[in-house]
Amino acid sequence: MADCRKIFSTFVCLSVVFFLLVVDSPALGVKKKEEDDEEFEWVTYEQRNFPYPSQNALGDKVQQLMEWSSKRPVIRMNGDKFRQYVRAAPRNYSVILMLTALQPQRQCTVCRQANDEFQIVANSWRYSPSFSNKLFFASVDYDEGADVFSTLKLNSAPSFMHFPGKGKPKKGDTFDIQRTGFAAESIAKWINERTDVHIRVFRPPNYSGSIALGLLFTLIGGLLYLRRNNLEFLYNKTSWGIGALCIVFAMTSGQMWNHIRGPPYAHKNPQTGQVHYIHGSSQAQFIAETHIVILLHAAVTFGMVLLHETAVSKGDVGKRRIVTLVGLGIVAFFFSLLLSIFKSKYHGYPYSFLIK
Amino acid sequence: MAGESNIRTALSNPAGWQSLLSFSILALAYLAAFSSRLFAVIRFESIIHEFDPWFNYRSTHHLVNYGFYNFLNWFDERAWYPLGRIVGGTVYPGLMVTAGTIHWLLNSLHITVHIRDVCVFLAPTFSGLTSIATYLLTKELWSQGAGLLAACFIAIVPGYISRSVAGSYDNEGIAIFALLFTYFLWVKSVKTGSIFWAGCTALAYFYMVSAWGGYVYIINLIPLHVFVLLLMGRFSYRIFVAYCAFFILGLLLSMQVPFVGFQPIRTSEHMASAGVFALLIAYGFLKYLHTHLSSLTKSEMRSLFFFAVAASAAAVLMAVVYLTYAGYVAPWSGRFYSLYDTGYAKIHIPIIASVSEHQPTTWVSFFFDLHVLVCTFPAGVWFCIKKINDERVFIVLYAISASYFAGVMVRLMLTLTPVVCILSAIAFSNVLERYLVDDTPKVHHIEDESEDDEEGDKRNKSKDLYDKVTKTAGKVRKIRHEPSGEPESLGGNVKTIVVMAVMMILMMFAVHCTWVTSNAYSSPSVVLASYNHDGSRNILDDFREAYYWLRQNTDDHSRVMSWWDYGYQIAGMANRTTLVDNNTWNNSHIALVGKAMSSNETRAYEIMKALDVDYVLVIFGGVIGYSGDDINKFLWMVRIAEGEHPKEIREGDYFTPQGEFRVDKAGSKTLLNCLMYKLCYYRFGEMQLDFRTPPGFDRTRNVEIGNKDISFQHLEEAYTTEHWLVRIYKVKKQDNRVRLDHTVRKTDIKPKTKFTSRKSGKRKRGFIKNKLLIKKGKRPSSKNKKPSRKSSSKK
Repeated sequence: MADCRKIFSTFVCLSVVFFLLVVDSPALGVKKKEEDDEEFEWVTYEQRNFPYPSQNALGDKVQQLMEWSSKRPVIRMNGDKFRQYVRAAPRNYSVILMLTALQPQRQCTVCRQANDEFQIVANSWRYSPSFSNKLFFASVDYDEGADVFSTLKLNSAPSFMHFPGKGKPKKGDTFDIQRTGFAAESIAKWINERTDVHIRVFRPPNYSGSIALGLLFTLIGGLLYLRRNNLEFLYNKTSWGIGALCIVFAMTSGQMWNHIRGPPYAHKNPQTGQVHYIHGSSQAQFIAETHIVILLHAAVTFGMVLLHETAVSKGDVGKRRIVTLVGLGIVAFFFSLLLSIFKSKYHGYPYSFLIK
Repeated sequence: MAGESNIRTALSNPAGWQSLLSFSILALAYLAAFSSRLFAVIRFESIIHEFDPWFNYRSTHHLVNYGFYNFLNWFDERAWYPLGRIVGGTVYPGLMVTAGTIHWLLNSLHITVHIRDVCVFLAPTFSGLTSIATYLLTKELWSQGAGLLAACFIAIVPGYISRSVAGSYDNEGIAIFALLFTYFLWVKSVKTGSIFWAGCTALAYFYMVSAWGGYVYIINLIPLHVFVLLLMGRFSYRIFVAYCAFFILGLLLSMQVPFVGFQPIRTSEHMASAGVFALLIAYGFLKYLHTHLSSLTKSEMRSLFFFAVAASAAAVLMAVVYLTYAGYVAPWSGRFYSLYDTGYAKIHIPIIASVSEHQPTTWVSFFFDLHVLVCTFPAGVWFCIKKINDERVFIVLYAISASYFAGVMVRLMLTLTPVVCILSAIAFSNVLERYLVDDTPKVHHIEDESEDDEEGDKRNKSKDLYDKVTKTAGKVRKIRHEPSGEPESLGGNVKTIVVMAVMMILMMFAVHCTWVTSNAYSSPSVVLASYNHDGSRNILDDFREAYYWLRQNTDDHSRVMSWWDYGYQIAGMANRTTLVDNNTWNNSHIALVGKAMSSNETRAYEIMKALDVDYVLVIFGGVIGYSGDDINKFLWMVRIAEGEHPKEIREGDYFTPQGEFRVDKAGSKTLLNCLMYKLCYYRFGEMQLDFRTPPGFDRTRNVEIGNKDISFQHLEEAYTTEHWLVRIYKVKKQDNRVRLDHTVRKTDIKPKTKFTSRKSGKRKRGFIKNKLLIKKGKRPSSKNKKPSRKSSSKK
């Protein structure tokens, strides 16, 4: 037995180490990749032969921006840089500017999420085969360039703006976060609308789900291996039955609808403060409501099973009679409750049973 | 004399009674299944419903008129103009062939029926067959009693009626029968392990493949069953024989259907079956080796065997993955993938997401379609798991997977319904079996007939006569016996109470089914009905009115543009060429129509010219408050158009700055001027529906429309039906001479009026206009001026 424990503890240690390694490795990989790409980029840069504009100022600006963006996909700017590279006149490139407040003391959690999405878009552009000097990503932090916010007359962060190659930003050049959200895909779509540059968003794949799954499987496998002499619990029909019923109850109560549509848990009337757990229409439902329905379904099922079990069991007759009546009561009562909830939701339904 | 005694023994023989009773119950179930689906025919008329059935009817008509081979080679030039559609290669022909065969059979017996009537009554006929197939399957799984109960359930359950009322001539109508019959044969072949039954399974599977795309469910569920049986260590040569025979035959047969073709060996949906086949062969081989290698010890043998099986499973998996990556096997198609990744269709395939029956299911729809069965069938799952055997593994897997699919998509409720009926029947029969049976051992002193009955009961406890209690005398007789129960049993009163309560619930189920069928599922949707306060009925027959107008008044080859929902109906009823229809195979063509509908008139006219459109048809419900009209579907047109033409069409343009979709004055300018809006609301602003509302009040959306001043340049109104439900516009031909939009000529000549306004001494006195003035002693100056005027006007 002691051996077993030893083996198990080493196994757990190993799996934890393995987990840490795997979790860390993507981040390391990305950093490394960036460094590699930088050098690589230098080589290709000279080979590419950019069509330098005749104006030397513009050429210098583009070159400078290319240099920066090869270092990091989103160029950080302050007020001076903003005026020189984004605002000033000779430009043949578009700039997507994120105005944000990332300093911890600003406590802007939305900014951080928006920043992550923006980085994803910028990285997708940076490493896409169609990468060119027509489009740059930049960001201005409020604490580094408050004057930018005042010149653009902005008083909220985060916000995204597009500065086209020619002329001033128009109405559509401010990204509408309120309506479309700031997912990387919608940012890319907006960029596509404004600049005709198509960016295929490539998210760094999220391994955490598969790692967790793999870990779960190894743990289960390990447990099975440790208990290989005593595998009766695998043949336990009750646990398998409960598992199967859980899936069935979850599906028939519309959990999948909740997952896809994402309804609120319950609705609180702002005027009266009354909380509604049941949605009034048959087209929608609250999460609380589906939980109630699971309970009702389970109760009716339990009642049916009880009715059967008590009839086949051998025991005191009086007790069995009571249990039978209890089972019947459960079936009838909870079924009629379910029916009455259904009736309240489905307007014009004429039937009810026991309960109105 | 001898004959009489024969009859007497037959009458007193319990087995004879039992089969007579079950036969009559099944016949009644068949009758109930058939007749409860006739509401629509009785209320309206014998008419094909909805949208898809119209296409099925049209192609059946073609099959009957021109024969089977011409049907398989049919190129339909009236659909998807200008592309056309190869119908023979893009339909599941099972439905048409079935209806055609019945029609041929009846006609060769000189029962002359029109093919339309065969089509209308095909689904009810097959529903009756489905209830018999359900009986057979449940009998194999549990007992005869449960089977009869299941047959009665499925005969009337709304979840199945929804797709199989008379007139709903669709694939699902016959496919559910094929599905259940295949499952019955599969269970039978697993039980017997005979090649005969496995071959029958393959034949039934072939019928299913030819009838419905849902056959993929069978070809994944059966391998899953075999795989789980392997995992549970329930391998036997019965399963080996059954699966191998079924797989090979089924694969070969399914490839005979033209629309399926080589898919069974080229797509991921079918790879599970091939993988399990390979695994089963490997397992069988190792098992065979096992019997010949007896030199090893038992434990060594076991572990070796285990690792060999695991290794072969891994090898099979790797092979499938490799083939998929190498491109030999197509990955999961979008329609099936969206079942697994539920957010997929919404992002990538708006045309799938736009169909209302592809939405996820709320618990209300489950309860609406299944009533008491939805909360009792888990009990059936429980009983099956408690008394597990090979074939009950199958029904449990079926229940779990079907409930998942039904949760993801409303239309897959159809595959869940049969298993719910079966398992509920098992649950009810398992409970009632204990309470209806008189389990007293002392029965000798009761009269003859019932003694036989009791013996029959004891012999096979489950095969009793309780289940059709509402219809047979069996129940009454039983209950009469119960007071004589022994103290060990629960006693007659308790039993009676339980039985009565359960009967009450089942009766409520029957009542509910009838109500739902009559109210929700029996509308043909080609003909609408509205009810007045006094209960009298108005029939709104606008759809057929419009389609017959098209049929009578337009050129035979004119092309009608409409949204794809109405394509099949226009082709079926109006017999005119359509641009897009309900077979949504070409997204870009649909997007082009969507783009035309959501552009302004000039842009739309260019598209319509390019597509040779003669008429445009829209559905408008604002007058009668019909909610399924084109304005409510309009956002999907915009979305689909945006998917293909993101430069020209943007969904955001059709919303107000607050992100609302409004048709009143606050609505966005793009919306108020797009073609669809103008077609729907043309001259609607002049119409006042009643005195409480302003003119141009849309009853569906309950607003006064925003753009009442609509005029057309390239279109003209051709026909509007009685209740304005369908509006048809004619696209004008191009003018012979293209008129330029002329602006007022600008010159630098000072207008003459300036002279008249000049106040001179003469004018004050009054003068004759254009009176010739004679100037004396001077040459007229006009000669000098004239050339200069001309040159200036040329500029």
